[in-house]
Amino acid sequence: MDSDEEDFVFYGTPIEREEELTSRKKKAIAESSGQLRTLPAWKQEVRDEEGRRRFHGAFTGGYSAGYYNTVGSKEGWTPQTFRSSRKNRAEFKEQNILNFLDEDEKAELDGRFLGTSSQFDTFGFTAAEIARKQAEKEQKQRPSVIPGPAPDELIQPATESIGLYHVILVESWLKIIYFLSPSCYFVGVKLLLKMGWRRGRSIKDSHADALYDARRQARRAFLAFSSDDPKVNTSESEQNKDDVETFLEQSTNDDVQSSKSTPVFVLNPKQDLYGLGFDPYKHAPEFREKKRSRLSSKGGPGYSKNMSTRNSLFSLKSGKSAPGFGIGALEELDAEDEDVYATGFEFEDTYVQEVEEPSTLRLENQKKKDQKDQKDHDNLPGFRVASNTDYQMERFEAPPIPKDFVPRHSFSGPLEINHKNYDLPPPDIPPPEDSNLKILIEGVANLVARCGKLYEDISREKNQSNPLFSFLSGGTGHDYYARKLWEAQQKCKDKTKPLLDGKVSSDVKRLTAESRGQILGEKPLERSLQDPSSSVASTDVHLQFNLTDTFTKSEPFGELPDVEKPFKHDPAKQERFEQFLKDKYRGGLRSTKSSLAGDMSEAARARERLDFEAAAEAILKGKEGKESNLGIPSSMDFITGGLMQFTSGEAEPKKDLQSEDLAQKKKYPRREEFQWRPSALLCKRFDLIDPYMGKPAPAPRSRSKLDSLIFTSDSAKGAKIEEPVLSKNISYVQQSANQDITKSTAESETEGDVEVENIERPVDLYKAIFSDDSDDGGEDPNNLEKVENQEKKAEVANTALSRLIAGDFLESLGKELGLEVPPDMPYPSQKFRNTASQEENINEHSRTNTLNVEHNSEMPPNHGLPSDQDTVYEGGPSKGDVIHANMLESGSTKINATGIYDSKSSKSNGERYKNDMKIKSPLPREQDHSSGSSSEEERKRKRSGKSSRDKHEEYRKTKTLSTHRRDYSSGSSSEEESSRKRSRHHRHRRRTESDPSSERDRHGSRSKERKKGSSREKSSRSRKHSKHHKHRRH
Amino acid sequence: MSVEDLPRKEVNVLKGHEGAVLSARFNADGNYCLSCGKDRTIRLWNPHRGIHIKTYKSHGREVRDVHVTSDNSKLCSCGGDRQIFYWDVATGRVIRKFRGHDGEVNAVKFNEYSSVVVSAGYDQSLRSWDCRSHSTEPMQIIDTFSDSVMFVCLTNTEIIGGSDDGTVRTFDIRIGRETSDNLGQPVNCISMSNDGNCILAGCLDSTLRLLDRSTGESLQEYKGHTNKSFKLDCCLTNTDAHVTAGSEDGYIYFWDLVDASVVSRFRAHNSVVTSVSYHPKENCMVTASVDGTIRVWKT
Repeated sequence: MDSDEEDFVFYGTPIEREEELTSRKKKAIAESSGQLRTLPAWKQEVRDEEGRRRFHGAFTGGYSAGYYNTVGSKEGWTPQTFRSSRKNRAEFKEQNILNFLDEDEKAELDGRFLGTSSQFDTFGFTAAEIARKQAEKEQKQRPSVIPGPAPDELIQPATESIGLYHVILVESWLKIIYFLSPSCYFVGVKLLLKMGWRRGRSIKDSHADALYDARRQARRAFLAFSSDDPKVNTSESEQNKDDVETFLEQSTNDDVQSSKSTPVFVLNPKQDLYGLGFDPYKHAPEFREKKRSRLSSKGGPGYSKNMSTRNSLFSLKSGKSAPGFGIGALEELDAEDEDVYATGFEFEDTYVQEVEEPSTLRLENQKKKDQKDQKDHDNLPGFRVASNTDYQMERFEAPPIPKDFVPRHSFSGPLEINHKNYDLPPPDIPPPEDSNLKILIEGVANLVARCGKLYEDISREKNQSNPLFSFLSGGTGHDYYARKLWEAQQKCKDKTKPLLDGKVSSDVKRLTAESRGQILGEKPLERSLQDPSSSVASTDVHLQFNLTDTFTKSEPFGELPDVEKPFKHDPAKQERFEQFLKDKYRGGLRSTKSSLAGDMSEAARARERLDFEAAAEAILKGKEGKESNLGIPSSMDFITGGLMQFTSGEAEPKKDLQSEDLAQKKKYPRREEFQWRPSALLCKRFDLIDPYMGKPAPAPRSRSKLDSLIFTSDSAKGAKIEEPVLSKNISYVQQSANQDITKSTAESETEGDVEVENIERPVDLYKAIFSDDSDDGGEDPNNLEKVENQEKKAEVANTALSRLIAGDFLESLGKELGLEVPPDMPYPSQKFRNTASQEENINEHSRTNTLNVEHNSEMPPNHGLPSDQDTVYEGGPSKGDVIHANMLESGSTKINATGIYDSKSSKSNGERYKNDMKIKSPLPREQDHSSGSSSEEERKRKRSGKSSRDKHEEYRKTKTLSTHRRDYSSGSSSEEESSRKRSRHHRHRRRTESDPSSERDRHGSRSKERKKGSSREKSSRSRKHSKHHKHRRH
Repeated sequence: MSVEDLPRKEVNVLKGHEGAVLSARFNADGNYCLSCGKDRTIRLWNPHRGIHIKTYKSHGREVRDVHVTSDNSKLCSCGGDRQIFYWDVATGRVIRKFRGHDGEVNAVKFNEYSSVVVSAGYDQSLRSWDCRSHSTEPMQIIDTFSDSVMFVCLTNTEIIGGSDDGTVRTFDIRIGRETSDNLGQPVNCISMSNDGNCILAGCLDSTLRLLDRSTGESLQEYKGHTNKSFKLDCCLTNTDAHVTAGSEDGYIYFWDLVDASVVSRFRAHNSVVTSVSYHPKENCMVTASVDGTIRVWKT
């Protein structure tokens, strides 16, 4: 390089490149921003923003001043402290010299501040401050497990009772003073000493003392109360108190003012992680004790035991600990809201776990603590705490429990103690030759064993002269007696032992055959008096019979009532039958050979067997059905007929039972299907097409019997209310019959409004149609009571009458209905509810309904017609008449269906609430009548097809019926018109013939109604019609 | 799948709940799991790494069930405070609260499009709530149950509810029909098989019952565990080969689906195993217990 440079010759001054300039600038900026500060002061250079060196502040030696080498500040010339006092006048910032000083300057100044000399720092505020600082420093130097300012603990939080505050404060300060500098004497202390205060005495006034005493007493009482061992506890608790407390307690032990409370300083370092002054055991001092015990017992084996014993107080609660997560303050909890799941959690297992886990945890803690201790105390200069200690917890396996160990301590009973001397069994000795003596000895031995030694003594005394009893006093046979006595005592012991150790042995107690039999309710076998040498077969049979007897339940067929003897005419056969029944139902052993029918041929026996089976089954059925009267005759017929063929053998009944069991099982799962309407929005959100789009909502399904019960009461009311309406209707019928048309039209105009409300109520159509002209009470609409009464009376007659006047089918139906009508019926509508066999009826009706509906659906043109009847009606009277005539032809068939509907709906009056519920929400029905009714009928047919259904289904059925009824009832608003019309057209007809036409009319008007939504319109329509009538009349 | 593949090895213990954990559920892809418990919090975990991610606090009382949308953006939860909370997962804020149940809410689910929340309540009703609109009223209340509804399951077209009245009711929105299968025993939990043909119903007589959905027949009964007083979960494994459920004695049971034999059982928790949830794809399972822990099991 050097040689190269030498080769070149440079002329002039080189032009500084711009890049270099900028780089210098950059450098300056970088230096000024950060780098500069890291340099030592003498190396720092002040440069301007161009990076050039500048000199500033000649007096201060080159300090960089101002804002970017200006004199101003960032805000310009305005001094920072200036604030316009115009708006915030009151604000006045007090300035202090410290505000303007740097940290190092402050440090410099630190020594020059005025402060209280330690000499006069009587109560040690400054000293405490210094102490704390020092302690903090120490804290920093010494690593500690416990974070936070430890020295704060030195100053005991004494804010518990405000009344005592100052006293305690003073004392605590004193404590600190002593602690910090016990050698120096303060002026204040000197003064106090002069005033009579002695070291070791407390400064306090009597009032606070008394107050505190009371508190202390109370606490003590509480402690004594809450601990099971008061002695231990009081002493312990005293120790376990916070140190201030103990200190104070001791100090207040003397009631004399000058108590000798030597302020014993027990350092209570903060070892927990709770907040300052927080005492987790404030309200549960027992736990504090527990914790202390845990800490104090340094991981010894006594820990868990200790805990368990301590727990005795809380053992009741410890099994189940409350969840602890409570209720928000705003949540109110009524009794019904009580959380079923909240309290149920048992923490037993976790509790156990808790006992187990700390053992390891504790070990670790222990280690840590040890280490810490070593660090704190044994950390001699030049020594280091060994990272791994040789010391290890020695663990011993629990001694193995011998296998034959029974975890039950048995105490030797007093009886055994008494007879210890007999424990050594006397030698077995052959009995004496004299059998009498032998028996005597044995008897006495038994007695003595049972009654005790006293008996022996007494008998010895009594029978001293008697040579027979010489064995008692060491005569002949004494040895034998001793032996026997021992044996008997052993026996007695065995017996009494269980008594002694109570319930444990009761489990152990052996079941003898007899006791087991007793428990099971077996009869003991009769000991046959026969010689065992007699024929084996007979005993066999005997045994068998006994067995069958023993296995009986409760003699269901013990004595058959007369009715249940299907073979009365043949006693032998009856006997065989009974035997058969026994075999069949009582279980036990079954004789393979039927000895009773020994003389019968195989075929005959088989046939008889089948007969028996049938009879037995019939009887059983009869019993089950509790209709023995019905069941048995049929069974009799059954048997006497004798032509029955049985394909199944005798195994069948058994199978039946099994299948019954299966059926019981099979009952679940049970599947049911219902209609359910999802809301349109739900369908939309599920991205599905609403299956019920544009269709009317189905009526809500009743949920329980209770609901229906509640509603029925309502519906009963509704029924009562609707009575007058009905009568009104009737009255109009009559009026129309009387041809008092002008009046009726006038009335109907007013009536229209009335019916707006009443129209919704289900009208008992059955009554409406067939109510008689003879019902005069209906004339007066005000006399409602009367009407009702008469209604009741008339209704019974009406049913009969309706039977007469309706068509052939209706007649048969009426018969059916008539059968069920009880003579005294408060309301005809309830008659079917009251009958016993209502289920069957419903089924029957539904069956007839299906027939009927089929019949009905065969004539679609008739359905189609009424849909445009409205227009036809309006268009010209002649056309309407034609239609009418058409109606009449199909009327007889038509009314069949409707009649049934009516009867059915009246029958199901109990669910009339359905109508109410339904009608409360009148639905716009877009479909014309024909399609609507046909679909309804189809649905109905479906329903009635599954005729035997449970309640739900039935409700639903009636519901659909009720929809029909609703239609009719709503149609009844125009009924008077129709009846009027009818009366006009067929004035000379009998009512029977005119009924179908009214029916038809109703259909027509119904279709109209559907087109017009509101009932308001209906009324107007009726008005219109009445006008129309007038017009036609003219 | 052989027995060896069953998740029986404890991989992680998720600790954090202070009190009983009432439910733990995998999210849709199985990467995360959510738990809720008596400490009124919902917690989001990564069970595979054993990391606690987030805590959702707002419930006033215990949280009984939680469900997350398939896109992991929203949560719904329910519990003793009778409300359904609709959360934003990322921010941890409650977006909406659905009120209307008259009693505690036992279970809650999102539908497929996360537009509807269906909740099952102690007030014997199922309620569906609209997440799209701001209406406070439920879209529909299904109240045909005659006792507390304990669980709800949703398919694309159906709402299935299990109730203490012993019925499992399927509400088919497509055809507007309610199918009620009466099991005769209080139903605690229902779980769909992955092929969608069967329902597993956990009953309070310590029996799980497998129902054929199309016919309503009982296909199998699984017994052996104890479930008499707690609301315990049951589910099928991801391959539908086994049935699993927790027990009140802290055990987890695995049954063979077909022959109903107990294939495996082991003690998983110190206390009642309230909830089991199976990973949608892998052989992995999380279980929650009254002892406050959630454990992750793998093969």
